[in-house]
Amino acid sequence: MTQKRGLILHPGDNVGNALEEVLQGEVIGLSLGKEIVQVEALEAIPFGFKIAVKEITSGEPIIKYGETIGHASKPIKRGSLVHVHNLAGARGRGDLRKRP
Amino acid sequence: MEFLGYVRPDGSVGIRNHVLVVPGGVIAEKICALVPGTKTIAMAKSGGGMTTRDREAVARTFFGLALNPNVAGVVLHSGLVAGGYPELKVERLAAEIAKSGKPLEVVDVMAEGGALETIMKGVKVARKMVQDASRLRRELVGIGTLCLGVKCGASDPTSGMVGNPVVGYLFDRIVESGGTAMFGETTEIIGAEHILAKRAVNEQVAEEILEAVRFVEDRALATGEDIRTMNPVPENIASGISSLEEKSLGAIYKAGHQPIQGVLKYAERPGKPGLFLVDTWMGITTIFPGFVAAGAQLTLFQYGGGGGAKARTLLDVSPSIVAPLLWTSANPVAYAQAKDSFDFYSGTVIEGTETIEEAGERLLRLVADIASGTLTRNETFNYADPIEVYGIDPLF
Repeated sequence: MTQKRGLILHPGDNVGNALEEVLQGEVIGLSLGKEIVQVEALEAIPFGFKIAVKEITSGEPIIKYGETIGHASKPIKRGSLVHVHNLAGARGRGDLRKRP
Repeated sequence: MEFLGYVRPDGSVGIRNHVLVVPGGVIAEKICALVPGTKTIAMAKSGGGMTTRDREAVARTFFGLALNPNVAGVVLHSGLVAGGYPELKVERLAAEIAKSGKPLEVVDVMAEGGALETIMKGVKVARKMVQDASRLRRELVGIGTLCLGVKCGASDPTSGMVGNPVVGYLFDRIVESGGTAMFGETTEIIGAEHILAKRAVNEQVAEEILEAVRFVEDRALATGEDIRTMNPVPENIASGISSLEEKSLGAIYKAGHQPIQGVLKYAERPGKPGLFLVDTWMGITTIFPGFVAAGAQLTLFQYGGGGGAKARTLLDVSPSIVAPLLWTSANPVAYAQAKDSFDFYSGTVIEGTETIEEAGERLLRLVADIASGTLTRNETFNYADPIEVYGIDPLF
């Protein structure tokens, strides 16, 4: 099976980034320090985009760089694309008119 | 590490040797058209109807650019209509510039008898000034004399993973050597301000960082709009950045790891070496002139580019006036599209052939080379965008 490259930036992260174009069903080997975490892509992951490397429940923080980049707006399966369709940012949201 | 620079009367070191004609406008433009080796600025708003703090930002930009070490001498004229505000009077600007001890000629429109006469006088003094400047010779100095300013733009996931960390490595090395480094874009530290506040040199600076973010975020909340419709910009989102927090957490890597010595106002000079946050908007025609007026001899644009095939237009943007602008990218596609506009490529780290530290060392050597006189790609194209001083308040 083709092994594509990816990167997990911090041990606490629940998402990683694809370093190549990844097709549905391909396995990404995501570097985390010296370790390689293997995740099967449930859908296409474009270059640079995020893939869930853990099961994420609705409302759970999405962690990248070891920090919260938003919350899951729906349950996200390991191997799914993570982007604006299932991740909601909280900061500067004038539409919500409140601080997180 | 050392480079060859022009040592100025106040001990600062220039990496270029321009004569600056300020303020902008028709008088400055015509002088510069006739005298090679001169530079000026174009700007639409120059003080009228602005609040005191915004007029002061305009004034800081005028005399700050003149004080930049890359400027060998200054021709200051009184032909710009500024409404008589005390902050912008020629006498005040001249007094600030004179502190540097560099050659300064003031050309007064009333004394010369009109704009055309002022242009003639300006041409005469500028010709002498550029010839005098040409007699200066570069000397070997340490990289600790450098002051850098960086902006990241068209950010994409390669920016946070590689492009910004490579610039951060450069910043760390410059600051460790006794130099100065500046980053800004307050909107793009929202969501990462807690990390920067921890790196503040003291409690007061930490509070200034948090307050700068509160001020901007309160304004964002007051608009009633989801900030994701403004920033991250559509190209950021199209490249895979999902929230402002994600953009910010990647953006701060360009500032390296050194302690933050202070929060500067737009075009405010730091007054001591080290790493500084400049409280400014992200716009390219705003942030770069602000860095240069604060004393940056060299500026860097760390380009992502994943969200659109826009890289070919890079040549068009040139707002650094008297300081070279160095373009860098970690995105293989953006770099391939505009090789003739980029000075540096760190996509090698994504391809797995170089580490962030190795790419950072390569960037440091390039910076020293450019500081010694090698032109950036941007400097080989004779075009300058109008600048826009960062104003905080409404106009009246």
